[in-house]
Amino acid sequence: MKLQDLINPAAAKELYLPVMAEIRDVRKLTELETLYTVALPGGAELGHQPGQFVAVSLFGVGEAPFSISSSPTRRGVFELGIRRVGMLTDVLAGCTAGRKIGIRGPFGRGIDVERFKGKDVLIVAGGIGLVPMRSMINYVLDRPGDFGRLIICYGSRSDRELLFTDELEKWRRNPNVDFRVTVDRGSPDWTGHTGVITTLIPGLNLDLDNLACCVCGPPVMYRFALLALRSRGVKEKDIWMSLERRMKCGVGKCGHCQINGSYVCQDGPVYHYPEIKALQEAL
Amino acid sequence: MVRFFLERDRVADLVKHLMERRTVYAPHRKGRRSFAFARTADPAAVVLDYPRTLHSVKKFFLPPREELLRFDLTDDTFAAGEPEPSGAAFLGVHSYDVAAVRRLDHNFSAGNAERNYLVRRQGAVFIGVGFEPDKFHFSGSVGIEPDDTAGCDAFLTKLLDGYVLEILTPTGRELLKGLELPPYEGNDPPAHPFQQHIYVPQSRLGRIMDKSYEHPVWAEASRTCVGCGTCNLVCPTCYCFDVQDHVDITATGGSRERTWDGCMLRGFSEVAGGEVFREGLPERQRHRVLRKFKYLSDTTGVPWCVGCGRCTAACPAGISIANIVNRLVGDAERTPVAPI
Repeated sequence: MKLQDLINPAAAKELYLPVMAEIRDVRKLTELETLYTVALPGGAELGHQPGQFVAVSLFGVGEAPFSISSSPTRRGVFELGIRRVGMLTDVLAGCTAGRKIGIRGPFGRGIDVERFKGKDVLIVAGGIGLVPMRSMINYVLDRPGDFGRLIICYGSRSDRELLFTDELEKWRRNPNVDFRVTVDRGSPDWTGHTGVITTLIPGLNLDLDNLACCVCGPPVMYRFALLALRSRGVKEKDIWMSLERRMKCGVGKCGHCQINGSYVCQDGPVYHYPEIKALQEAL
Repeated sequence: MVRFFLERDRVADLVKHLMERRTVYAPHRKGRRSFAFARTADPAAVVLDYPRTLHSVKKFFLPPREELLRFDLTDDTFAAGEPEPSGAAFLGVHSYDVAAVRRLDHNFSAGNAERNYLVRRQGAVFIGVGFEPDKFHFSGSVGIEPDDTAGCDAFLTKLLDGYVLEILTPTGRELLKGLELPPYEGNDPPAHPFQQHIYVPQSRLGRIMDKSYEHPVWAEASRTCVGCGTCNLVCPTCYCFDVQDHVDITATGGSRERTWDGCMLRGFSEVAGGEVFREGLPERQRHRVLRKFKYLSDTTGVPWCVGCGRCTAACPAGISIANIVNRLVGDAERTPVAPI
């Protein structure tokens, strides 16, 4: 490698200008999370891969990155599942259908679906990590011939915080899906599994020679999920992880999302686990 | 290579000549001890003999605050910001700062090329000047000598009674045409030695950095660090930025602006919800130093620290990046080096 020469600005793209999209539908998922259905102008397709993200902005408030929650197999519009935790998401929570929002992207490296094809797909999603993983789950469900069994492990802090409850029910009833859910602390009427997400993994029926696994959740979850998967004999080469970092530009320029020398917005957010092993700050 | 003799009394003629043709940015005094690149209005105010400016010429191509777009809140429309091509003559730039611009050129050209930087950078002409290293400069240890002319269109080397003016490119020749100067036929003036060094050749630095991740030096350097981010702000190769919206007082519109940001600041790696991915100062210090000496060097083959000494000269706690590197070198090479 060497230093790239200065190029003519005429050859450069506009990196920071959004496309003005429209919120088509707003559906409250829980007290904190909302699902937004978004349409690009002229019915344009977003053209994303499961696991990618977009930068959403409201003028005068700011811009932030959000995972795409819908599968690219569901065309015409795309969905963003957003938790209300800051300035931009507070304002978004008050937005209704018809509101214009700025969209840049899709950005980053999503799930390399080619490497999941023909294999059993294991999704380990903790909390809001289900939002990006739902893109992959529905992708697999929409192309049943391309993949083996779909195994979903979903953990939430409490049953009141479970996301996409109607879809969870569908997954539970789908004979081709092994759906497991657990909550850290259940309410008195919770009859399901209680415990952290890693307690679901020992009971799974896994074909270790034909498995691809993707993990997404809060930062604290990754090391424990990894230990649980490894103790079941899941091979490192069969594990992918979707990581969160602060991002501003999404195009590998602003520097915020770096893990050592890797830009999460370019090399991630979905990393193959053997790559992460060389990134000492990753987990 | 064409060399001329510029008598000390005629430096103002050179500045005037440039000012008649281009906007000129050159080092000026700022306060009693500081220097800054500023637009030249008075040829006599230009200072060519200076240790370092507070900021490098980076500020002209990647401004500390830059409008990316202007938005209208009444109808949700926007207009892209309009960066202007520089076209300026940068007079009196030191070799390490030209080397830093070369690295920024890489960053904004490689991968996703960025229009804003590339437009602002367009047409810039560099007339370098040699420097006498002070106790903070160590650019020689990263391969950048005081008389290194790489990237310059013309270069001035100080003599006792004036300067040698060397024309290096067709742009330089065109710009200096009409400035009547006698040829210089003397010897090369002697180079000034560095007072600060990294005690290992560049070729060995990579391996040392590879093994430095768990070294106690990061914690040691953080004992006095206050996490102010000054080292990031004065660094000529730091390019990280934040983006924020600002609403006009009329509340009908505003601008989306980017501002310089620094990896030594706690908020740099903080995400919504409060998670901070480099919470401690040792982690942040390690990230800053390894960015300069490992991460970016691994992909580009050159160190991203250009040895200007600004971070060290400006640090309120006196933390020296050369001393940090030398501590790693000392341990790796089993040579005793005093603690930082």
